[in-house]
Amino acid sequence: MSGRRSRSKQSSVSSITDDQIADLVSKLQHLIPELRRRRFDKVSTSKVLQETCNYIRSLHREVEDLSDRLSQLLASTDSDSDQAAIIRSLLMQ
Amino acid sequence: MPNLEPSPVFKRRKTEGDPVSVHRIQSNQTMKRWTTKREHQIYSSKLFQALCRSRRTSSSTSAKELHQTADRVLAITAKGTTRWSRAILAAPLTAGTNMKKHKRAKVTVHTRLRKPVVNREKRKLPVVERKLKALRRLVPGCRKLSCNNLLEETSDYIVALEMQVRAMTAITEFLSRGEAQAPTDRLGSIGNM
Repeated sequence: MSGRRSRSKQSSVSSITDDQIADLVSKLQHLIPELRRRRFDKVSTSKVLQETCNYIRSLHREVEDLSDRLSQLLASTDSDSDQAAIIRSLLMQ
Repeated sequence: MPNLEPSPVFKRRKTEGDPVSVHRIQSNQTMKRWTTKREHQIYSSKLFQALCRSRRTSSSTSAKELHQTADRVLAITAKGTTRWSRAILAAPLTAGTNMKKHKRAKVTVHTRLRKPVVNREKRKLPVVERKLKALRRLVPGCRKLSCNNLLEETSDYIVALEMQVRAMTAITEFLSRGEAQAPTDRLGSIGNM
């Protein structure tokens, strides 16, 4: 991997690969909410990658959070409240 | 299972044996499905069934187990078209993997501070490489992947994660406002949120 790119990213020798990479990076840019509004500005590759990592981490945290809430909800079904009874009935699929 | 969108056709192009363009055609077709209602319904109902099952078999489900279940169902829904999904299914159920990833990411920062400026001329600028490294750790199963394929996998992974969040939010809301709605409405609402 380190041999594929030369020092300058616009080198003509590896232009095919660089174009593809630029393409993929711009596709990523469209996916990330932070960078979507800056679509027509040049956002540097490292910035896109940084924001990608941040975004994935925040998505992971959200899912963790939701798992937490869900597991609490499931745990709460053991209690005697009406809410618990309803959840239990919903889960008896 | 109801009939889904057709699985991506593996097109063969006459490029100079360039595997990336073929891979990209495949992924362009599959990425969009994560945003469809159909896929959302499929994932939501599979996850819900998994939750019902886990509730029947064990008395308590930890948040971590639930997270793993949600990831595994997500990977199943991907139907083996992407590397990250195959990696999730291949990995045994381990605890504490997330913690390790976090620690390694911190170490990388220290390495950067230690490197003097002079070294930049000897190897190429490590900034982008460093980011790619961090990305490789975040996306399952992509540690040895080339840059191009990594970016492909990342795009698909992000869209899939977004769907996961939508679906789990819907299920959580569904279960937590059980009292507010009439019984007949509830079952239909999982797929519609």
